Amino acid sequence: MAHNIWKIGGFILIACVLVLVFAVPMGPGVLELRGTGDTAMSNDLDRKVPEYVLTGFGTHWSENPGDLQVLVRSKANLARLEVMEVLDDTHARIGLTLPYSVPSKSWDVLTNHSVDGTLLLENGLFLSDRFIDESISLSGIDIEEFEADLPFHFPYQPRILESIRNLMLHVPMWFTMFVLMGIAFVASIKQLASARATAEDEKAESAVRVGLLFGILGLVTGSVWARFTWGAWWVDDPQLNGALVTVLVYSGYMVLRNSLESAALRARLSAVYNLFAFVILIILLMVLPRFTESLHPGKGGNPGFNSYDLDSALRAAFYPAVIGWILIGLWMHRINMRITRLNKKIK
Amino acid sequence: MNASSEPASSAWSRYAALTRHAFQMEFRQKNGLAGLILFSIAAVYTCYQVAGSRAEAEAWNALAWVVLLFSAFNAVAKSWPEDAPEMRAYLIHVVRPQEWVLARITFFSLLLCGMSSIVFIAFTLFLGTEHLNGMQAVYFFMGMLFTSIALASLLAMIQALAVRANGGFGLIAVLGLPLIIPVILIATRYGMDILNGISFADTAHNLLFLGTLSGGFGALGFILFPYLWSD
Amino acid sequence: MNALNLILVQSHPLEGWFFGSGKALVVLAVALILLVGFGLWMWRAEARLKQLEAKLDSKNSAPS
Repeated sequence: MAHNIWKIGGFILIACVLVLVFAVPMGPGVLELRGTGDTAMSNDLDRKVPEYVLTGFGTHWSENPGDLQVLVRSKANLARLEVMEVLDDTHARIGLTLPYSVPSKSWDVLTNHSVDGTLLLENGLFLSDRFIDESISLSGIDIEEFEADLPFHFPYQPRILESIRNLMLHVPMWFTMFVLMGIAFVASIKQLASARATAEDEKAESAVRVGLLFGILGLVTGSVWARFTWGAWWVDDPQLNGALVTVLVYSGYMVLRNSLESAALRARLSAVYNLFAFVILIILLMVLPRFTESLHPGKGGNPGFNSYDLDSALRAAFYPAVIGWILIGLWMHRINMRITRLNKKIK
Repeated sequence: MNASSEPASSAWSRYAALTRHAFQMEFRQKNGLAGLILFSIAAVYTCYQVAGSRAEAEAWNALAWVVLLFSAFNAVAKSWPEDAPEMRAYLIHVVRPQEWVLARITFFSLLLCGMSSIVFIAFTLFLGTEHLNGMQAVYFFMGMLFTSIALASLLAMIQALAVRANGGFGLIAVLGLPLIIPVILIATRYGMDILNGISFADTAHNLLFLGTLSGGFGALGFILFPYLWSD
Repeated sequence: MNALNLILVQSHPLEGWFFGSGKALVVLAVALILLVGFGLWMWRAEARLKQLEAKLDSKNSAPS
């Protein structure tokens, strides 16, 4: 029993991760601030101002409607917008109570509420019809800031939204593939060192087979995610190309194995090819994406995930997911290897 | 001579002899070489028919590298007299596998450099030089030479592997094409930079990258070839 | 007020519906059943492998 703990542990970890993935709620965020094209009477200014609608995501504005504050920020300038009416939890009518001359066209939108805390929508407001005078400075307003009062939740990310849950399924697939291909790499080196026995070759073969499965799962989960966040099942991106080519390279490994009859020669040749394949894997997935612009998070271009490193809720689900999937992958590799060896013995 | 079991000739002279021998065999049997050149020129002419003489820079760049890639695969995949089992059975007693693989990489590098020169000249003849002004042509050609060497250092090994596995062109393509993609990615990016008029100094790191890849593939081949060769 | 209604309709339809209505819990239940099923299947496969390996070993060690 004791030596089986890691196998059961892997499944228990993934079960816990799945519970977290589907049951933990999403934190609040601000989706957009959009003009309706109408004007409305402002109580603060006592004249008509353009009317906007603020749309939140998972916010709780109707709980304490009076607490909602909406501010716009551009560099050091901070100005308050008037909350005319809270329509429901996620919608509010806003009056654009800015003067005609403003210091900037583009503004970040901030909301502050007693339940949700401070939320930020970067570049959420764009003023095209105002007079721009950079010498104006808007500041000197007093705000009472609220701390968020929320249960355990995943952080809101613009565009990614609820699909952040895929992080626990997509990324560990690649980690597991790396581990399995690493095992195959070491086994291939050992195979080249040993003269006649093919035990290490069988180990490398089943590691590649299971690793390939995880690689394909990584492609599929990534494709679904790309459809949601980038709008296409596949985009031309160094990280994605690298992943696909890696899967092709290892498929080539399986083709090479199948085209060889003699077991000793097959062990030697496929070990040689596997060493090349692993070097290419490192170049494609570790080196090249760092030198190119990429949409994919964690590389150049998109800073979408810079904050998730720090978020405790995501960490609590992500690290167990990585460990759990790796353990399951290792167990699958072990069973596959034993089946391969048994088949060979029976023959 | 010291008391080691070294054969009388030095490793260097055996390497040089092997390389020279490969060229002699190739030039003696002229139809093989003529076939390769014909393939390249026909491929360029097909591109000319498809894209016309006024291809956009993107199309020009893509076609040039694709033609180079397929010429390289075609050159490597043709059956070489050196690959016959009898030849290996003889050579295995005379030379070390490392000398053989280095001679192979050198031969393929020079061959592919020659092929890329032909492809480049044919390209400028048919598809025009409007995207290549002055030094741009030189830099683009330099990129082609670097790419040829990188292709040669990897394909020499893949070809040896496919020969040992008794696979033909199909196996070389299945094994080689995915592995070669990093080289092609870097080469196309470099070519596009040059055609877009980006200064050589700003994109020269791509050439350095190609050189590093050739060195890496060559080193891997040097280490691993003995395992391929022996029985 | 027309423009306002239009905006109210267009926030992400999938969001909230999936997690707000409890459908996520059904998906979770199915995923957990699949996971447990897969785990049990692997466990049985390993037990059976052990059996076969033992059988094969005894055959090899005691030639009949």
